[in-house]
Amino acid sequence: MNRDAFLVGMLPEHFLLAGVVLLIVLSIAAPAGRERGAAALSIAVVAAAAVCAAGLGLQGFAGQPFPGQLSVSPAASLGKAVALALALPVLVRAREEQGDGGPFYPLLLSSLYGLVLMLGSDSFLTLFLGLELMSLPVYTLVLLGTRRTPRAAEAALKYVVLGGAATATLLMGVSLLYGHGGTLAIGAFARALASADPMAVTGAVLVLLAFFVKGALVPFHTWAPDAYEGATVPVTGYMAAVIKAGVLLAALRLVGEAALSQPLVQLLVALPLLSIVWGNLAAMRQPNLRRLMAYSSIAHAGYLFLAFLGAGPGRFQAVLFYLLAYGVMTLLAFAALPAHADEPQRDRIEGPAGLTGLFHRQPFAAIMIGLAMLSLAGIPPLPGFVAKFLVFREVMAAGHTAVAVAGLVGSYLGIYFYLRVIQRMFMTATEVPVQGEAPARGAAVVASVVCLVPAIALVVAPGWVLARI
Amino acid sequence: MDEALMLQLVLWLPLAGLFALLLVPAGAGDAIRRLSLWTMLVQAALCVWLYLRFDPAVAGLQFATRMPWIEDWGVFFSIGLDGTNLLLVLLTGFLGPIVVAGSFSAITKDVKLFYAMVFLIQFAMIGTFLAQDLFVFYLFWETMLIPMFLMIGIWGGERRIYATLKFVLYTAFGSILMLAAVIWLVLAAQQAAGPGAAPSFAFEDLVKVPLTREAQTWLFAAFGLSFAIKVPIFPLHTWLPDAHVEAPTTGSVILAGVLLKMGTYGFIKLGFPLFPDATATFTPLIMLLAVASIVIGAGLALVQDDIKKFITYSSISHLGYVMLGLVSLNLIGIQGAIVQMVSHGLVAAGLFLVIGMIYERCHTRELAAYGGLAQALPAYSVAFMLLTLASIGLPTTSGFTGEFLVLLGAFNAAWARHLSGDSFALVAAVLAASGVILGALYMLRFAARFLFGPTRAPGLEQGHVHDLVPREKAILAALLAAIFWLGLFPDEPMRKTELAARQYQQLVATSRLPAATAAAPATLATVAGAPR
Repeated sequence: MNRDAFLVGMLPEHFLLAGVVLLIVLSIAAPAGRERGAAALSIAVVAAAAVCAAGLGLQGFAGQPFPGQLSVSPAASLGKAVALALALPVLVRAREEQGDGGPFYPLLLSSLYGLVLMLGSDSFLTLFLGLELMSLPVYTLVLLGTRRTPRAAEAALKYVVLGGAATATLLMGVSLLYGHGGTLAIGAFARALASADPMAVTGAVLVLLAFFVKGALVPFHTWAPDAYEGATVPVTGYMAAVIKAGVLLAALRLVGEAALSQPLVQLLVALPLLSIVWGNLAAMRQPNLRRLMAYSSIAHAGYLFLAFLGAGPGRFQAVLFYLLAYGVMTLLAFAALPAHADEPQRDRIEGPAGLTGLFHRQPFAAIMIGLAMLSLAGIPPLPGFVAKFLVFREVMAAGHTAVAVAGLVGSYLGIYFYLRVIQRMFMTATEVPVQGEAPARGAAVVASVVCLVPAIALVVAPGWVLARI
Repeated sequence: MDEALMLQLVLWLPLAGLFALLLVPAGAGDAIRRLSLWTMLVQAALCVWLYLRFDPAVAGLQFATRMPWIEDWGVFFSIGLDGTNLLLVLLTGFLGPIVVAGSFSAITKDVKLFYAMVFLIQFAMIGTFLAQDLFVFYLFWETMLIPMFLMIGIWGGERRIYATLKFVLYTAFGSILMLAAVIWLVLAAQQAAGPGAAPSFAFEDLVKVPLTREAQTWLFAAFGLSFAIKVPIFPLHTWLPDAHVEAPTTGSVILAGVLLKMGTYGFIKLGFPLFPDATATFTPLIMLLAVASIVIGAGLALVQDDIKKFITYSSISHLGYVMLGLVSLNLIGIQGAIVQMVSHGLVAAGLFLVIGMIYERCHTRELAAYGGLAQALPAYSVAFMLLTLASIGLPTTSGFTGEFLVLLGAFNAAWARHLSGDSFALVAAVLAASGVILGALYMLRFAARFLFGPTRAPGLEQGHVHDLVPREKAILAALLAAIFWLGLFPDEPMRKTELAARQYQQLVATSRLPAATAAAPATLATVAGAPR
């Protein structure tokens, strides 16, 4: 163990772990039903961890707390900072939905702890540990929605089963890679990418497939719409933004700057393109915002994995920037969504309640959701546009002109359903006052602003951000 | 330095107005209207001031600002005035207060959002004209979509949802292909500049990039499609009638006044100069489509019953002249095209305004419902008739200057080709000239049915229909003054645009194929496959 690297380099991890322990103590100590302070504590801990990670990343701290198992690098720290920062709006909005205590906060922080470990892992052992620690609490978090929607149980089960399949695929791939190279270091993966040995290629492909499942890429996406719909809004936002970021950054850590062999290029062209087209087409017919965002996240997983076709450091830059732009705007949509006594009514796209005519009832919420939709559709000057530009520039610079054109045309298919949400909110009048809808409270406004500030930074000074990642 | 700041101010003022609006409570309609009008008036005054200060003897940009923005990619926030955008910026600035004042009585629902959208589209339009960097240009270009989408969709007529989605999806399709072309072009430019060269999105750098014929053809197709949809050129015009008919008056005025100039401006600034060899290849096709737009637009205008559709088809016809002038590559024709863009902006905006005014009073757009307005509404009818005559292109109005110069230029160029054995351009020019006669026919027929004959209009007996109020008179007087200014004294604006027109002419006339001796021409394969 390397003391300095352990004490300083792993500060984000320490903060999270301390937070988890404190939260558990708090929930034991507090009398049942009268818990307080869990939300504030979680926000403080995650914010501190995010700031530490950002500081470590920007200062270029590098070290190996556990040589061969866990290392700290500037890129990994920046990735951690982005993922942790994306968890903040979720936590801000969580108090009114999940209460100020209970299992939600320790579970969420454990999941974040796993994510952060995974992004620092140097061997498949720690990677697996982190990935599972990140995923297992989320299965439970989805289940927490049962209190409101009975479908949550089904959704959680589907998620568990497919998540388990992904784990099995990952382990199979890792054992093949181990059989080929005799090492569990993640460098074996990058070497396998360029290798012609069938065993190594199969291992690499299986590992990638596991990440495709976790990242909800077509045809491994079927869990996402149900899980997103069944979960409560903060959990949906967490899955869409933070888990997606964790999965993509971990995949990026494995692939690194390695050159891709031809079969892998084909895989990374076919499935993302399929994902973009199918995600955008299927999203057109979704009845509520959460399902719609699930298909949106499937399409965006497509753009993100397409960025892997880029070469060298541009790959990391494109993915991280995209995750940031996609994450804040996805979370903005969920952060601004007004609460409703009847949960399924809350984000209905058609019908008298939900998003229909929202602008005339709650202009702030409607404008925020509208901005999120436009950004996700990639319409300038919102951050989604610069992100999309960056990804397709990488793809085209790597020589895949036709793929880039196909991806852009695929992204065009998505414009319609994002605009449909805006159309329902702004261009449809609601005749009756909607029963049960809560006015935008402080938390929704604060969470929206937490998302909006980085979004504005990405619009005004994308160059400043790009120069730092 | 100070003057560059003034240009910055012209650009940012609408955005400042938008943020100022956020501070005004939504219920305070009059305060919102006053704030919007004053902001636009200041912007218009600044535009006029810049126009007067513009030095016709200086080639290239004036009042320019160039700041690094995304340094990694070589994107500069670069804006400036030159002869191509000078008159269009002036037009946009001038129409700003007219648009705002023209909507005072028509817009009573969601007033705050409405003026916020007017500010946003004004910002995006000025930005598109001023941008001198391809990335910035694309950013502003696409930003125009959102406010217009909301404007038609919220304040539009019965089929507004259909119309607005059609508008967005139509134009966004062109834009997405243009985006692919933008990325490709910039990578190719970097490749052509040699290893280690900084990437650049600057127009002045991009017009120097040698490109193979194949590359030019693809890129021109992508850029051209996007611009042609915006113009719109026949047969890509089908979104426009729906958008115009369903849009509120303000939306139509912005659409016809400025937004339709975006397509032709795109061609003059980017489409033709960036890809001169592809332009030469496509010239016959563009000429054919321009003439088709002129003749078919005029023909369709003849048979419309809806007064807004009527103006829409006449717009398509008038913009055909702009395209014809641009591809004539004759200095007179090019300058005529620029004047025609401004002239159409003024005249079409005016026509949509007067139609909006009568619609506010009578609530129908059926031509058959009207007649004899000359007796009932004399002031209105005078303004209407003057705008009609300007649209026909009567001498002393701006329409005459534009169309006459375009046709003169087209004939000059066509005659030279005819002598060398190619009569296609000559036939096109003759057909285009016939469009002037068709234009007179449909406009006068329309005015005759609308203004003369038996006096009738819905609500006329009940006294709902009154003549122009002072606000409306002021708006129309300002527009007519501009129309006559451009018709009577075109030499000063034309002197200011002459150098830019010459530069355009020279850029489009010079082949930019890579030199045959060059070892690695920038083909699709080599550029794409090369490391960055």
